[in-house]
Amino acid sequence: MSKKIAFKTLGCRLNLFETDSIASEFSKNNYQIVDFSDKADIYVINTCTVTSMSDQKSRRVINQAARRKKDGITIVTGCMATNYKEKLQDNENIDYVVDNDHKTSVVSIAEAHFNGEIVNDEQFQRDLFKYEPAKDTFHTRSFIKIQDGCDNFCTFCIIPKVRGRASSRPVEDVLNNIRKVVEYGYKEVIITGVNIGRYNHEGTNFEGLIEKMIEIPGDFRIRISSIEPDGYSESFFRLFKHAKLAPHMHICLQSGSEEILLKMRRMYTAKLFKEMALKLDEMYPGFSLTTDVIVGFPGETEEHFQETVEMAMSIGFGHIHTFKYSVRKGTRAERLPDHLDEREKTRRGEIIRVLSDETRLNHRKSFIGRTQRVLVQIILENGYARGFGEHYIPVIIEKQNLDTNKFYDVDIVAINENDEPTLIGKIRN
Amino acid sequence: MQTTGLHKLIELINLTESTYILRIEKKDMQFEAGQHILLGKADDNDQREYSIYSGTNDEYLEVLIKEVVDGSVSIHLKNLNPGDLLKVEGPLGFFGLSKDKIESGKFLFIASGTGIAPFHSMVKSNPNLNYKILHGIRTCNEDYGKEDYNSDRYIRCTSRENGCDFEGRVTDYIRQNDFDNDTICYFCGNFKMIKEAMDLLENKGIPGSQLHAEVYF
Ligand SMILES: Cc1cc2nc3c(=O)[nH]c(=O)nc-3n(C[C@H](O)[C@H](O)[C@H](O)COP(=O)(O)OP(=O)(O)OC[C@H]3O[C@@H](n4cnc5c(N)ncnc54)[C@H](O)[C@@H]3O)c2cc1C
Repeated sequence: MSKKIAFKTLGCRLNLFETDSIASEFSKNNYQIVDFSDKADIYVINTCTVTSMSDQKSRRVINQAARRKKDGITIVTGCMATNYKEKLQDNENIDYVVDNDHKTSVVSIAEAHFNGEIVNDEQFQRDLFKYEPAKDTFHTRSFIKIQDGCDNFCTFCIIPKVRGRASSRPVEDVLNNIRKVVEYGYKEVIITGVNIGRYNHEGTNFEGLIEKMIEIPGDFRIRISSIEPDGYSESFFRLFKHAKLAPHMHICLQSGSEEILLKMRRMYTAKLFKEMALKLDEMYPGFSLTTDVIVGFPGETEEHFQETVEMAMSIGFGHIHTFKYSVRKGTRAERLPDHLDEREKTRRGEIIRVLSDETRLNHRKSFIGRTQRVLVQIILENGYARGFGEHYIPVIIEKQNLDTNKFYDVDIVAINENDEPTLIGKIRN
Repeated sequence: MQTTGLHKLIELINLTESTYILRIEKKDMQFEAGQHILLGKADDNDQREYSIYSGTNDEYLEVLIKEVVDGSVSIHLKNLNPGDLLKVEGPLGFFGLSKDKIESGKFLFIASGTGIAPFHSMVKSNPNLNYKILHGIRTCNEDYGKEDYNSDRYIRCTSRENGCDFEGRVTDYIRQNDFDNDTICYFCGNFKMIKEAMDLLENKGIPGSQLHAEVYF
């Protein structure tokens, strides 16, 4: 009888990509993938450590697996596993701790275990890119890893410690990965990595890589996902003219205060960020710009915070992912003076969240009367189809008998103003 | 190519009571002027960033360090002896001169204290560079590496002593002088100085895209 395996992924899209690939390998080796709430022989938890909240969530999931596993095993990997490796190795609820550098060895470790061998992740070769393109994933879109690690060393960030130095996947491997998933039938690929804008492989930079990607034939689109605002040229922005490149980027602002950006050691100014946002909107009206904001960074005064609020209002982001600053051990920000109390961070976070809801609704409303090319992801109970347009805004198409994983050109006629404002579209004639 | 490894200390050179240079084995580390390394004692988990002070063609690596009394790493590094091992990782960072500007660009380097380190490396690595340095220091003896700069390109701005080049902070110097709008400005050191100096130069008409900062603290 085939063994059952369950996965839980916390955190970023890079983790999602890596879990998809590992799950696909298990599936090829005849393991049966089951839900994480079911009984399984192996529980794989791909953890996150970006904030203290992520640590807590990761710990909670590890405990859930421990309660369910009985004779099975728990394998913990990802950023939290890397950050607290020794501590987790002493945790008797966990059978194997696999750091990021050796994440691709999870399959071999499990196989060895059931063959009666006890192996250690460090016996396997370090490989950041040995992830096979996944055929059956937990998603309708395919994540493509192009890069790992980060050399920016922002003062708040633990990621350079747990993901290591920046490293780029060879161009041909990336392109082959895309060709493969397009062949599998995926209609949207999402570029992932820790700091994808710093992609550089033997002279091909990020812009050059995207240029090559959009030349790949096939009916699919490319989404850039999360990227740092490290200075892009107009020629990069011009690439969005190509129908394959979705007019959406998640560019991390973190703060609208020049002073806080300097303290964070971010490599741009708020002013340049704003110019870039305006440029994109001028070139592509309605361009979907979403962002991350950290509230309550050490020394953030009310005045600094208001600069972020004003910036967010004036740019009108499609969504703001708000993080309360959280101390990460060993970072420069840990040693900065004037840490804020939790209640104040919560208050500021709430203000940004409310503002984000407002700007998101306004941004989405501006699509009424426009068209969207919707990739249908699910069919709702009433038979209507739901998916995402090229701007990464959810759209319900009011028509029955449509197919999932297929593009439809729709006219946007209205918006549902609920918690997740959703556009309503009609198929174009 | 980045490396992580143990490098021997060749020499510790005291410049003032609190500031010193560590000259370290270079091994095969190649870097660009302006980049930094992560440095710590071999037997210590704590590492800190230090800009590379030496030139790209020097046979050794040098860093210029100010001992911070209530800090944890800078104070310990000062007690090392030649032959001791240091954990070195790098080179890291993006605080470099853009290659297409090195020949023709007009550079203004603005530093506070040991923030002069990356500029020392840039000047040493590019002998024909068209630059001017404004060095914010408290007293004249903090003019680390003065002999390596052309005297009319290096301006000491002293806040607590008169008698060297300019009496006052770098920001006072900027207020009182004009700069061509095509000047490419690099700032390094204390964030308060950097913020003020950036604002002043932007108000004087230098575009934001020509301002580059490396914040130490
Ligand atoms: C990219 C980068 C490059 C750097 N390059 C250099 C360099 O070339 N030379 C150098 O001396 N330092 C440099 N620093 C600062 C250095 O990394 C350490 O922070 C510093 O040596 C103090 O370390 P510490 O462990 O003793 O104290 P920490 O615990 O790190 O710092 C304690 C406090 O000391 C103050 N401080 C930090 N650095 C300095 C300084 N240079 N002068 C005065 N006060 C300071 C700050 O207020 C800080 O909060 C650099 C920092 C960065 C981010």
